[in-house]
Amino acid sequence: MNPEAMVKIVFLILLAEIFTAIGQILFKKTTNMLKRHSLRSVDTHISFLRDVFGKPSIWIGFFSMAVGLVIWLIALANGELSLVFSIGSLQYILILFLAHIFLDEKIDSMKLLGTLLVIFGIILITMS
Amino acid sequence: MKKNHLTLKIFSLIVLNDIVDTIAQLIMKKGLVQTGISPVTLSNIAEFVTRNISSTLVWLGVLIYALNFFIWIIILYKIDLSIAMPVGSTSYIFVPLAAILFLHEYVCPIRWIGILCIILGIHFAAQSKKGAESESRGYG
Repeated sequence: MNPEAMVKIVFLILLAEIFTAIGQILFKKTTNMLKRHSLRSVDTHISFLRDVFGKPSIWIGFFSMAVGLVIWLIALANGELSLVFSIGSLQYILILFLAHIFLDEKIDSMKLLGTLLVIFGIILITMS
Repeated sequence: MKKNHLTLKIFSLIVLNDIVDTIAQLIMKKGLVQTGISPVTLSNIAEFVTRNISSTLVWLGVLIYALNFFIWIIILYKIDLSIAMPVGSTSYIFVPLAAILFLHEYVCPIRWIGILCIILGIHFAAQSKKGAESESRGYG
């Protein structure tokens, strides 16, 4: 792969990740807004889903995810799988920080260490 | 009551989510390969989209993705996104293990180290109990 094509693929992957991460943040924002659901029967699951789909943020999240998926598919079709998935693993650190900023989720040493180990592991697996 | 604690039930849901996700990825990849357009450029992007829209495999992949969304949203309802994400990387463990067991594939030492790192990473992320929310919700 020539350098120019490589830069293009990396740019596509990062763009896909940003859209996907925004989607995930919006999904979690949505579930944070829900009222209490027991989720013990079919009925309670249905009312749970009604509650979920009644929030506009879930639909914006879907849209962002869809855009991310299309860009991701273009990257997959053009780039080598190992490259796409290695760079794709940066998603974990991106979400860790976005969740801290937008969802007030705490970053403790366990989460950070766990996330970094997962990224390192994915890079080892996909590059080898 | 514990808050945002990763229970076995939620962990099982995350594993299920990963397995279904892997199946969807494989089906979609198959569909994309079948369309036979590579590389995708600005000039053939319209053809790329039309061919994939008429691919049954791509649609099947999308459908399975949609179903998997329900599992994911329940997971998010229960625990922090920043815990669900790293713990949700179990597919990187199960796919190679399945490949060894069922396809008798060889896994090189570097991959084993990678798998070990992910197992440790999941272990550490699962230890994190500092959630943003104060209330605990159902599901055992």
